[in-house]
Amino acid sequence: MITLEQCQRRLGPGVVFHCEHFHAPAGAHVALWGPSGCGKSTMLNLISGLLTPDAGRVVVDGVETHKLGDAAMDHFRGERFGFVFQTFNLLAPFTALQNIMLAMRFSDTVPSSEWRSRARELLERVGLEHRRHSRPATMSVGEQQRVAIARALANRPKIVVADEPTGSLDPKNAQAVMELLLEVCDEAHVTFLLVTHERGLAHRLPNQFDCSVLIREEARS
Amino acid sequence: MSLWRIAWTYLWHRKLTTVLTMLSVALGVALITAVLTLRDETRKRFEEEGQTFDIVVGAKGSALQLVLCAVYFMDRPPGNIALDVYEAIREEEFVHAAFPIGIGDSFQGFPIVGTTSEYLEHTRLDVRTEERARVLAFAEGRNFEAPMEIVLGAHVARTTGVILGDQVVGTHGFIELSERVLEQVGGHSHADTPYMVVGILQPSNSPNDRALFTDIHSVWEIHGEAGHFPEWHGAEEDDHADHDHVDECEHEYEYELEREHEHAHEQSGTSPQEQQTHAADQVTAVLVQLDSPGDRFYFKDLVNRKYNAAADIPIQVIERLYDQLLSTAKTVLLAVGYLVVVVSALSILIGLYLSILQRRRDLAIMRALGASAYEIFGAILIEAFWVTLLGIGLGWLLGGATTYGLSAVISARFGMTIGAFTLGRDALNAYGVILFVGMLAGVLPAWQAYRADVARDLARA
Repeated sequence: MITLEQCQRRLGPGVVFHCEHFHAPAGAHVALWGPSGCGKSTMLNLISGLLTPDAGRVVVDGVETHKLGDAAMDHFRGERFGFVFQTFNLLAPFTALQNIMLAMRFSDTVPSSEWRSRARELLERVGLEHRRHSRPATMSVGEQQRVAIARALANRPKIVVADEPTGSLDPKNAQAVMELLLEVCDEAHVTFLLVTHERGLAHRLPNQFDCSVLIREEARS
Repeated sequence: MSLWRIAWTYLWHRKLTTVLTMLSVALGVALITAVLTLRDETRKRFEEEGQTFDIVVGAKGSALQLVLCAVYFMDRPPGNIALDVYEAIREEEFVHAAFPIGIGDSFQGFPIVGTTSEYLEHTRLDVRTEERARVLAFAEGRNFEAPMEIVLGAHVARTTGVILGDQVVGTHGFIELSERVLEQVGGHSHADTPYMVVGILQPSNSPNDRALFTDIHSVWEIHGEAGHFPEWHGAEEDDHADHDHVDECEHEYEYELEREHEHAHEQSGTSPQEQQTHAADQVTAVLVQLDSPGDRFYFKDLVNRKYNAAADIPIQVIERLYDQLLSTAKTVLLAVGYLVVVVSALSILIGLYLSILQRRRDLAIMRALGASAYEIFGAILIEAFWVTLLGIGLGWLLGGATTYGLSAVISARFGMTIGAFTLGRDALNAYGVILFVGMLAGVLPAWQAYRADVARDLARA
């Protein structure tokens, strides 16, 4: 499903991201684990096409994404990926319902006639149907992250990537959000990539990938 | 959810900035709208009236003064011409109708026009249908049939409150002053020769609304027998001894009377005494309607060659006035308007640019959700489009309201009602240019958003 081979990306003077080999089969739940600054997010960005590698291959769902142009990559990302961020990243001017519909608007996966009903369905799934007309600023952090999970599933993605999804939550909310994420990803049979610096959290997933050796400093000549 | 809706939502989200930017656009648009509407509408009305009469014949001198006086009743008479000229012109070939005009007196500042009763039945040629239609209609009463009977224009009746059967007293000149002031400055009213109001005209949206019409014999009778000029001079001399109590307004009136008096002498080449003697043999002007407007130039030349008088084509004089004098004023005002629009465009640019800086993360999220860089570029341009379009809409309303306010002044002064909320071709072109400038102002912020580093912007806390 997802393969990185000899993937390299320069991050700054003398600092290089290098991934020899990574593979996540379809439907796998994989934790990309490691300390802050080890290259977890860079790896996630390379997988989702937000960054392009300077060298090597990135293959997602049979497509060599490093060969796609910007517009094609944007389209590909909209169709195949769902994102959950640490800071939720809901768009402030829009309601919970609109935030989910917006994700569908940028992809062709769901017909426009179904946007509203699917958005309501997803909100119901995460227990927030009654908050559909609420704007992010009026919602608790836990509610915002649940809306973000609903949004990540909007386009029936094949891959859901979650970058420190519990990082901004209290332990109770973090527990609830993590359980919800795993449940919905299981239900939707999606490949789930979790980026976290918490070893305990990483071990809740069946597969772990240690990212601590991804960043290398080039030898100065 | 379309890009239009997304752009609109973001604008709505920062209402204050949006409204302030929109207002700055609206101010420029309002100024441009008011200038163009006033120009177009007044020109249309002036030309409409100018087209009613093909030729105006009057004393040699300023063509503009003659046209403004005889056609629009807005200026002092440039002088008089012999009655024989009117009678001869009436008999000329190609002449459909000719109306003598005698102007000199006023009632509460509105000119009293001496003419024939046929003037109030004059027609206007519709160049498209080539049919003539009557211009004036009576709201009450009838046309004047005898000397000292008078018909009031609609605006005069409404403003002065004079009704059918009332008597009105004319005053020499065109300035409205009380009897007390008139006495102080040496002018006087014709209190001994009042007019009887026999008719009131319907509003015609023309200078006729703010004039009074009487038989030209009435004018001759009053001026021929009373001989005002010598009396005024005598009165002025008497008053000079007691000048201290005369205020500035009265000085001004005295000066006006003297100028009119001297001007009349220069034009006619006669002494006041001679003028008094011959008053009944003169008219201020002759308004001529030809069988065909195509004969205007020929007829103008004919009159200028054949008679001791000057002939002019009213519409040509008015167009010259607009093209030469008023176009400069219009250009200056339009330049100011466009300058305001350029400043507004800068405020659109700054407003959007700052908003892009604040929304970098939002735009990056959209990109992560699958929005292409082109869609982001388009959404920002649409925001510029919305702000400019709303500014234009608001500016059009403000400009219309300004014109509406000014139309009352124009109506009172020139007897013409102008449309305030119109959409002329020039205005539409101007709005197109403004819309383009506004969107151009959105290009830089849109480009900034287009080439954003999504991964970096997403990583921002």
